Amino acid sequence: MNGNIRGFGIKAATVLAFGASIAAVSSPAQAGIYDAGKVLATSGVNITDGAAGGGITPWAVIAGYETNQGINGSIHYTYANLPNYSLNSLGAAIGFYDRLELSYAYDLLPTGSTFNTVGLLTNTLTGGGPNDTGIDPFNTAIRMDIFGAKLRVIGESIYDSDNLLPQVAVGGFYKINHNKELMNTLLANKAKDFEAYVAITKIFFPLDLLVNVTVRYTAANQTGLTGFGGPNKNKREFRPEVSFAYLLAKNVAIGAEYAAHGKNTDGRGVKVGTLDTSVVGTITNALNNIGVSGPVGNIVNNVNDTLTQRESDWFDVFFAYFPSKNLSFVAAYANLGNITLTPKQTGAYFSVQASF
Amino acid sequence: MKSLNKLLAAGAMGLLSMSAFAGSETPEGKVQATYPPISSDAYEKFGGKYGMDRWVESLFKYIMLDNRINYIFAAHGKIDRQIKLNQQLVAVMLGAPGVEYQGASMSAAHEEMGITLTQFNAVVEDAYLACEDLRTPYHTCNQLIAALAPFKRSIVTR
Repeated sequence: MNGNIRGFGIKAATVLAFGASIAAVSSPAQAGIYDAGKVLATSGVNITDGAAGGGITPWAVIAGYETNQGINGSIHYTYANLPNYSLNSLGAAIGFYDRLELSYAYDLLPTGSTFNTVGLLTNTLTGGGPNDTGIDPFNTAIRMDIFGAKLRVIGESIYDSDNLLPQVAVGGFYKINHNKELMNTLLANKAKDFEAYVAITKIFFPLDLLVNVTVRYTAANQTGLTGFGGPNKNKREFRPEVSFAYLLAKNVAIGAEYAAHGKNTDGRGVKVGTLDTSVVGTITNALNNIGVSGPVGNIVNNVNDTLTQRESDWFDVFFAYFPSKNLSFVAAYANLGNITLTPKQTGAYFSVQASF
Repeated sequence: MKSLNKLLAAGAMGLLSMSAFAGSETPEGKVQATYPPISSDAYEKFGGKYGMDRWVESLFKYIMLDNRINYIFAAHGKIDRQIKLNQQLVAVMLGAPGVEYQGASMSAAHEEMGITLTQFNAVVEDAYLACEDLRTPYHTCNQLIAALAPFKRSIVTR
């Protein structure tokens, strides 16, 4: 865990240095390539994948407050507190001429009680010796690097109020999950993979409403935090994501987001040594079929439930406040449903973002 | 729910006429058609002729205090005439009865000026300040923003 925290510190230093370099660009003031000409709040915020968007969904907007006249960027830190996990995301994004966006995010997911239990169990089974599950008895943290790029292709989300043409962007992420052994234990096919997406965004001023629809082509399990693909395949699929932001004031928005997730490891167990705990499910079914019930049946069923992975679509409702172009805050309620072995992962989400 | 219905209706209409409107010149002489339509009582909510005229005066107050753009307006000169023409323009765009816009088309008036999107956006930010100045609600202000937004294509040339 110390190593992880130190790693996080180094990443933070990198991101801050990156921010400082954007700030350095800004010092020649009005001249040069620095620009902060977007209207307040129209840059969106940085999502946990690092790109500009809502909270979990990338939008067609380009990060930073630049228009086609220059360059701008932002850094973010996001913390989501869930019953069995906490999600930390630290990142930076640069927007070039409101056309191209390059982003980076470092996501850190310290796991809690469930993984501690599994870690203790495997530790006991191996007699305290080394194991290859990637789960330590305490403080297993999942770490992921996310590199992103986005290109605004056509359209104007803000000013084309006399037609319905939206702003359209295409983008992609390359995600490197550093917990390869754990991904293997969770039966994911890969620990690193790319995703691609098309995002369309439109603001309807008469309704004070921003609407975004994104389709993501991905094989990610829990955005990649638990790997990519299932036990035997890494098949990417198209998953829809939708965001609504209602503009309460020029610097306040409230809204909701939905992101469809996959079922790559749904109903599967975890792999401990050579044992795939899905076998437990098979045994349970067999016992149920021959009519074994009562205490024995219950115990087997409980073990089966505890060791069965599930994945849910993600949903959040958010409140975003933009006191100035240099600073914004998001507070949200996130319902991430089942995450691997743990159900009902709902909690508070906070994000702070600085622009230059 | 009413808003949603409006949005859906506008969606259907817009898809039919999208190709006709996309990129076309914005008309200065009549009410701006937007998707969905701006609320019909927007002019009234802005305080009618008196309120609208004060709004334009406030807009120019903020513009002339805005170092990002004030020099452009100052160089053009005749601020009183700019205010008067803008008072006519916003009234027409919000459907005020019996008002005529007597200025040049937006593209003719701006083509030589090399206005950037950054400068245009600065005016939009000043427009919101003017709304706050006149205690005009954000929602009402957005009706005017929607009506004026398509002028971006005529005004911004860089």
